[in-house]
Amino acid sequence: MIEALVKIAILLGGLMTAAAYFVLLERRMAAWIQDRVGPNRVGIPLTKIRVLGLGQPLADGVKFITKEEYTPAHVDKRLYVLAPIVILVAALATFAVIPFGSMIPATVFGYRLAEKPIELVVAPGANVGMIYVFALSSIAVYGVILGGWASNNKYSFLGALRSSAQLIAYELPLGLGLLGVVLASGSMDLGVIIGSQASSGIWFAIAQPLGFCVFVVAAFAEAARLPFDLPECEQELVGGYHTEYSGIKLLLFLVAEFLHMIAASFLIVILFLGGWHFWGLTGGSAEIDGWGLAWSGAPWLQGLLRIVVLMTKITLVIVGFMIIRWSWPRFRFDQLMALAWKVMLPLGLINFVAVAMMQQLQAVFTGAMGPSWLMVPIAWGVAVAAWLGITWAAPMIADNRPRRELDPWEIDSQI
Amino acid sequence: MTCVPLLLGQMDQLVRSPLCWGIVLGATSLWLLLSGGSETLRGIGKLLGAISLLMLTATLMIVGDWSSQLVFWVLALITTGGAAAAITARSPVYTAIWFAVSLLGTAGLFLFQGAQFLGVATVVVYAGAIVVTFLFVLMLAQPEGHAPYDRISWSTFAVPTALVGAAAVIALVLTSLDGLRSSEPLTSPPQIATSQQHMAELGGHLFAYHLVSIEVIGTLLMVALVGAIAIVLHGRKSRPETAPDHPSRPTTDAGLPGGTP
Repeated sequence: MIEALVKIAILLGGLMTAAAYFVLLERRMAAWIQDRVGPNRVGIPLTKIRVLGLGQPLADGVKFITKEEYTPAHVDKRLYVLAPIVILVAALATFAVIPFGSMIPATVFGYRLAEKPIELVVAPGANVGMIYVFALSSIAVYGVILGGWASNNKYSFLGALRSSAQLIAYELPLGLGLLGVVLASGSMDLGVIIGSQASSGIWFAIAQPLGFCVFVVAAFAEAARLPFDLPECEQELVGGYHTEYSGIKLLLFLVAEFLHMIAASFLIVILFLGGWHFWGLTGGSAEIDGWGLAWSGAPWLQGLLRIVVLMTKITLVIVGFMIIRWSWPRFRFDQLMALAWKVMLPLGLINFVAVAMMQQLQAVFTGAMGPSWLMVPIAWGVAVAAWLGITWAAPMIADNRPRRELDPWEIDSQI
Repeated sequence: MTCVPLLLGQMDQLVRSPLCWGIVLGATSLWLLLSGGSETLRGIGKLLGAISLLMLTATLMIVGDWSSQLVFWVLALITTGGAAAAITARSPVYTAIWFAVSLLGTAGLFLFQGAQFLGVATVVVYAGAIVVTFLFVLMLAQPEGHAPYDRISWSTFAVPTALVGAAAVIALVLTSLDGLRSSEPLTSPPQIATSQQHMAELGGHLFAYHLVSIEVIGTLLMVALVGAIAIVLHGRKSRPETAPDHPSRPTTDAGLPGGTP
């Protein structure tokens, strides 16, 4: 019980701090990409010492909390208050099944922490792991719809409709990209999925490149990051579903958005990039086994190293998210939907069928499940072939100037 | 007709039991909330509902330990309260949201019993897909929720009949709970729930013993999807015939729409 509470406290504190500092990182990265300086003034409060602007998140937080929290008169008050709460609760609760490390041994420096090694996940052994994540991401849609509808504002409502259409559409390729991993590792438990990559040494990004592509694109869309940030497309919708929000409620929406991005990075790393595993550094067993000569006496060092490896990977993925955000233009809405239904869905299906066939062949001929090096070249061949096929069958048309007279029903179909 | 003297004989017991009054009060409260009266009547209805919930709680008994019993009561309250609010809410949007709350409570109850997959799947399928679709439609229609024709279905006959039926079912369930008082409480959840391979076992069972049903359901959904597409295509084909001819815009030689000066 106490163990679980401590883990929850660490997770909540860590996530909130991380979200705050990732906002700062994002602003500094944006400045770097746009050749500006970025926020670098706020340092230690009440002094004149600037520490690279590291006090900025604190100042932002204080500003958001002390700002006037204005509730427009025309909103539906109850739902207006409920929406940001729902979205933040869903975003935070997702992390209950996401591991943030491997294990801590029961005994550290001769001090006995627990009866058995502590698994670094709030709900260890959650068999439904991934479906739980999906369930909560579908609950997050409520926050968006309710926020947009309760605001009683055309821009908010359009933003909410777009956003929920996008989230629902991209849940499908997200699930299909994931299915290959579940099939190959034989479990929905994220810890077991990492274990299967660690023991074979083949990350699923290598074994299933097509699934990786589909999942990453869908994860970007689910996190509503550029180039998929249609929900709050500024020049068309002001601020999308949170146009009418201010103060702490707006902060809740923004934090939830960042948490979605962090969750997406966690999932990308855990499902496809090996989680805490790195070749020759962390050992391949799911248990803390004191792998390697230097650590045979210090299993806690191995546990620590795994946490460091996982966090490094996640930070790198988040930095990738940010670079893409600040260097790509936004999709138009029809392009967004065409990408989901005409490109990502078929690719996801091809990946799923290919993985199923390869797993079955492998089981028949070698009797072993899980990823194997033998299948990697075949998987890459499938990926290249499928990608070429899709580019031939459903090319993305960026130039949509009308070339001929369109029938009314054709125009309808584009809206 | 032997039950009538039996009932009469137990009348004083019936009058003294909180269960009976809880059900009567609950039914009255629902009737007040459903009949679409004034705000005062609705307020009285809510008050009566709260009182009846308290009385029904008094009849419940502790099975197992306190903490898990408390969790169960909270979840049950969310489920039933959400359901009651869903049928009495006036705005259809609120109805959909209360329905989702009730589903979340149900999912919580499933999880509490160790049925991990069932709980999470309830959220994904019902709350995540079906109710969201309802919400979409309701919000696009921008309902005010006070239209008189919304109330037609709640006629003078339907509401009392439904309430009496519901009260009878609740009474049956609650009185049959008496049997639990004497029996031993369950100490451990069923084996499949605690299994480390919960999902794998469930999948194995479904695809080993119910393969045909699953295939049939899949085919059914597929047919529904094809049907929906067929209806859309049919509508499109007939539209250009009914639509009036639109004046063609001037075009350049290349076929691009262009301004002729």
